[in-house]
Amino acid sequence: MKENAASRVVFILLLFLSVSLLNGQSPPEKPKLVKCRSPGKETFTCWWEPGADGGLPTNYTLTYHKEGETLIHECPDYKTGGPNSCYFSKKHTSIWKMYVITVNAINQMGISSSDPLYVDVTYIVEPEPPANLTLELKHPEDRKPYLWIKWSPPTMTDVKSGWFIIQYEIRLKPEKATDWETHFTPKQTQLKIFNLYPGQKYLVQIRCKPDHGYWSEWSPESSIQIPNDFPVKDTSMWIFVAILSAVICLIMVWAVALKGYSMVTCILPPVPGPKIKGFDVHLLEKGKSEELLRALESQDFPPTSDCEDLLMEFIEVDDCEDQQLMPRPSKEHTEQGVKPMHLDLDSDSGRGSCDSPSLLSEKCDEPQAHPSKFHTPEGPEKLENPETNLTCLQAPQSTSGEGKIPYFLANGPKSSTWPFPQPPSLYSPRYSYHNIADVCELALGMAGTTATSLDQTDQHALKASKTIETGREGKATKQRESEGCSSKPDQDTVWPRPQDKTPLISAKPLEYVEIHKVSQDGVLALFPKQNEKFGAPEASKEYSKVSRVTDSNILVLVPDPQAQNLTLLEEPAKKAPPALP
Amino acid sequence: MDSKGSSQKAGSRLLLLLVVSNLLLCQGVVSTPVCPNGPGNCQVSLRDLFDRAVMVSHYIHDLSSEMFNEFDKRYAQGKGFITMALNSCHTSSLPTPEDKEQAQQTHHEVLMSLILGLLRSWNDPLYHLVTEVRGMKGAPDAILSRAIEIEEENKRLLEGMEMIFGQVIPGAKETEPYPVWSGLPSLQTKDEDARYSAFYNLLHCLRRDSSKIDTYLKLLNCRIIYNNNC
Repeated sequence: MKENAASRVVFILLLFLSVSLLNGQSPPEKPKLVKCRSPGKETFTCWWEPGADGGLPTNYTLTYHKEGETLIHECPDYKTGGPNSCYFSKKHTSIWKMYVITVNAINQMGISSSDPLYVDVTYIVEPEPPANLTLELKHPEDRKPYLWIKWSPPTMTDVKSGWFIIQYEIRLKPEKATDWETHFTPKQTQLKIFNLYPGQKYLVQIRCKPDHGYWSEWSPESSIQIPNDFPVKDTSMWIFVAILSAVICLIMVWAVALKGYSMVTCILPPVPGPKIKGFDVHLLEKGKSEELLRALESQDFPPTSDCEDLLMEFIEVDDCEDQQLMPRPSKEHTEQGVKPMHLDLDSDSGRGSCDSPSLLSEKCDEPQAHPSKFHTPEGPEKLENPETNLTCLQAPQSTSGEGKIPYFLANGPKSSTWPFPQPPSLYSPRYSYHNIADVCELALGMAGTTATSLDQTDQHALKASKTIETGREGKATKQRESEGCSSKPDQDTVWPRPQDKTPLISAKPLEYVEIHKVSQDGVLALFPKQNEKFGAPEASKEYSKVSRVTDSNILVLVPDPQAQNLTLLEEPAKKAPPALP
Repeated sequence: MDSKGSSQKAGSRLLLLLVVSNLLLCQGVVSTPVCPNGPGNCQVSLRDLFDRAVMVSHYIHDLSSEMFNEFDKRYAQGKGFITMALNSCHTSSLPTPEDKEQAQQTHHEVLMSLILGLLRSWNDPLYHLVTEVRGMKGAPDAILSRAIEIEEENKRLLEGMEMIFGQVIPGAKETEPYPVWSGLPSLQTKDEDARYSAFYNLLHCLRRDSSKIDTYLKLLNCRIIYNNNC
């Protein structure tokens, strides 16, 4: 009987089991604890995964016990954390203590427990993303606009007291870009972004991390539109400016091409060459010198009244045999012919313009002092030298057949262009006019003429031209001189010869010289200027013979063998540059 | 007369030389901030001390965590060492606060004593840890180098904490008893599993205590220096 009962019970149980198996019901599978997280090191939540429920309604419970305690607790809150979760509030949370947590699945058929999870809250910290992310575009006055990003710490974190130490990471990118630009900030809750692309829409995200723990999730995207502003306009403006300037350049090039020469002459006027009024180049080319000179003569030549001041200083010719020094003298010239040399100090009014070197040629045409012609290349600095004397050689008149007498205009010690300082103190080595030749050369040199230049007419200078260096003395040289100075190719009778005693040329090399007389042969007798006081010179020397010509085309004159004295010549000769070419 | 004059000159020159050399030497001395406690007691400012201490404690905890994870990955997988690690720390006798409220209610004097006790109690275990890790067969350099670094930094932090303590609570009694570690035999046992378990425990406890020190220091820093306004 007993055996029958036992077997019956077993049979019924087996029946139940088979029936339940046939129905598909079984105890639940073991659930699995997924993770536990603490957002602020003050609370934490655990989540689990349920297993198969075995076909029956299953309840889940979470049980735990702490390290060092034996008491088993059940989860205080299944709701806050969502389904299949357990939320441990502050009251139930301890740091630096191990929690042993187990989840149990219970259904009618049985109970299944998960593997225990050992949790220390210290190491499961994962904060929420930062909150209140705001984007603001700031426009400072003298700078480009920048983006000002602000946020606040995530919820449930106590940063103020120092319990929770947090770091932030921001990333942003233009909407269509692929790469994010990330910035890391320890502690602070704002960030300024400066290098923005205008006209773009920027997306910004932020996340945070505790000092020891896991990174939070990225916050939802915040976006902001950067307006198009000045930099873009700047570019187009510069393009416009570039096109405009290119157009202007083209116009200028075209204008220059059309009127190039005239513009150039307007901006840079050509240096005027010396011109002689009435001088016809074409006549010269033709080779008709007589016509040419006639043309010249027709001009107001020799200079008239305004040069009077200087002309009054003209040389004195006091030979009874004098020929007409000025075959067609104007009043002034005759006057000067008889006038004793005197230093006439007049006002500068006439002089000033005469002294201007550039107007040398014109000055003598106009009633200006042509001493200015003798202006040295050194420039007008010497103009104001009151001690300088001026010598202006005038070419002999062409009309007179008798020869042209160069005139030496000797200024008084007034300012003049000729630096012929009387007193030695004013001696300038550059102005060492030893003889007429120097004067002439310098005068002509100033004008930049060559031997063949006939522009010297107005300058009336004796020119010790380079051709003199042929070594021909006497007539030939004199001819050259006269050519250069008088601009008359007339080879004859240029130099009047003194006939009787002639005044001496001053022993001083810087003396101005004067034509004393013109001899019959046309030999010019040159004398140093005499001091007026002494009246007519006595025992003067006459230098009328060319001794030699030196390098610098200085003509060294020797006294005429007919002359009485010879010695004085030596001094200027010494002063002259010694080497012969 | 001449010799006297020359000797005086030499003497004055020597004096000048000495003065100049002194000035130069003085320049070489590291200039420290103002000494609040008088010339004989030049000290770094409290803010700087705390900054330095927080940095070091943070570093030590980072190293400890890495070391523990490294060991766990290599030697403790599937061994269930964790179960044995419960209640195994020699410093558990220290009454340390275990949540924020408790910590905030603890006076900073107490907190600092706790920190000092923890630091002191770890001097010895750290020293032996280095020795024993070196002897461990196949010990990876990652663990060994970190152990050496932690030992050094621990000493430095202890010095800094003692200075802070001296400034914040002048005149307090310096030495308080601290827990003594007696786990050396278990580190040296022949049984490999037992030994690894002992290492595991030690590293687990080190990680925890370094976290405590770090948290308390940061709390104190915000409380004392920043007036609870970090």
